[in-house]
Amino acid sequence: MTTPPSGFVEEADLHAFVDGILDPDQRRRVEEHLLHHPEDAALVESWRRQNAAIRAVYEPILREVPAPSLRSAAAQVSTPSGAIESGATHWGRPGVLPRVRRREDILAQQRRQAIFASVLAVLAVAAVAALATFIFAGRSEHRPIAAISAPQGYVARAGLTYATYVSDQHPVEIDASRLEELSNWLKVRVGFSKVPDLSQQGMRLLGGRVAPGVAAPAGFLIYERPDGGRLGLYFERSVATISQQASKSGSGVTAIEWRTADFAFVLIGPLSLDLMQTAAEKAAAQIIGASQPQ
Amino acid sequence: MSNYADILAELSEATPAFRRYARALGAGVGLVVADGLVQSALQGLGARLRAREASPSDTEAARIEAYKSITALAAHKFQAASGPGPRHPPIVHGLAGLDFTDRAVLLLVSLEGFGYAAAADIAGISREKIVLRLQRARAALASWTANSGGIPDATLVRSTAHLRVVK
Repeated sequence: MTTPPSGFVEEADLHAFVDGILDPDQRRRVEEHLLHHPEDAALVESWRRQNAAIRAVYEPILREVPAPSLRSAAAQVSTPSGAIESGATHWGRPGVLPRVRRREDILAQQRRQAIFASVLAVLAVAAVAALATFIFAGRSEHRPIAAISAPQGYVARAGLTYATYVSDQHPVEIDASRLEELSNWLKVRVGFSKVPDLSQQGMRLLGGRVAPGVAAPAGFLIYERPDGGRLGLYFERSVATISQQASKSGSGVTAIEWRTADFAFVLIGPLSLDLMQTAAEKAAAQIIGASQPQ
Repeated sequence: MSNYADILAELSEATPAFRRYARALGAGVGLVVADGLVQSALQGLGARLRAREASPSDTEAARIEAYKSITALAAHKFQAASGPGPRHPPIVHGLAGLDFTDRAVLLLVSLEGFGYAAAADIAGISREKIVLRLQRARAALASWTANSGGIPDATLVRSTAHLRVVK
């Protein structure tokens, strides 16, 4: 390495140079040093690349719209329940929201309530059907309780997942343009990675996300029709291996459940039973094909 | 000293940056966890402002107070965080591998744009230790990147023996 033409430049100067906190004279001195020391110039460049990589990941967060309760958090008087240290669970608590809400917020809440009511109606029908099956299917008395109760649980969780995410501003965590990444992620987190193609049924894949399951995370794929209607395919590892397919509908939402390859699947959406059945059979066929040993 | 309304307005305005910092500081923690931490930190700061336990001289001082609250709370809350998953970019995995204070200093300077004095104040360390923390963080990130096959650039981990380390 050659002798620097000007004063000695310390590593601290290089950091300060990258961080933009040098005065003009110091900056010129470091720039001159870097001209004669390519190793240091490369080091500076590598730090700049690190900074750029960090900003590339986190800068988009600035464009997200924070929840109203978050923007006004400092003005909120905390409750005596100790919620200050309780993390995010106190969002939306009564008294936290500003008194005046925007009209869009109110409409969005009404839509969510309508979806939730629809899902509750489906669950009620499912509960009655399961109870009737339990009472009247006399030859099935040796069936494990889990095999009766679990399907209702899968539909319930699928319904909640659907109601939570389908009309959300960010319904999916990984969109369809990153299909391979989505598939790999689901394989790692959920244990199942086949993403059915329902485009022939007019259902375009939006993407997917991981959702809470019972014993392990569940997967949730969202498809969209040309008219804007959205369907969800929920799946998680099942506790029983019997293959079954059942449908439940009510209040404009239909849920079809089946099991394949040690997983329970629920297709849920605002379509007629016929259309949902067709889509479910298409998805099931692809899933079975994917799970066959090579 | 700025009035209470000015400070609240500044904190509200800076909320997107607080969320960004909390998410980066968590290095892989989820959106809800990070936002919950920001909310808790801001509520705590608001309570201290009302009780006059904190009295920032201006809105910038209030913003620094908010970063201090977030950092202090994250040091406690993010200890048990599960870390990034396979969907996270390599740089997030690198950040997750850093010492917490090193990570905080690097993010305060590189992402949030603070000067060394403010970053030292927020991180609760002396001004003299800032460069040491930055050096460690950047070297560890470079080493992690090289070892993970991210960027096969020898300059990222080359010897810097000709440079004098500032304590």
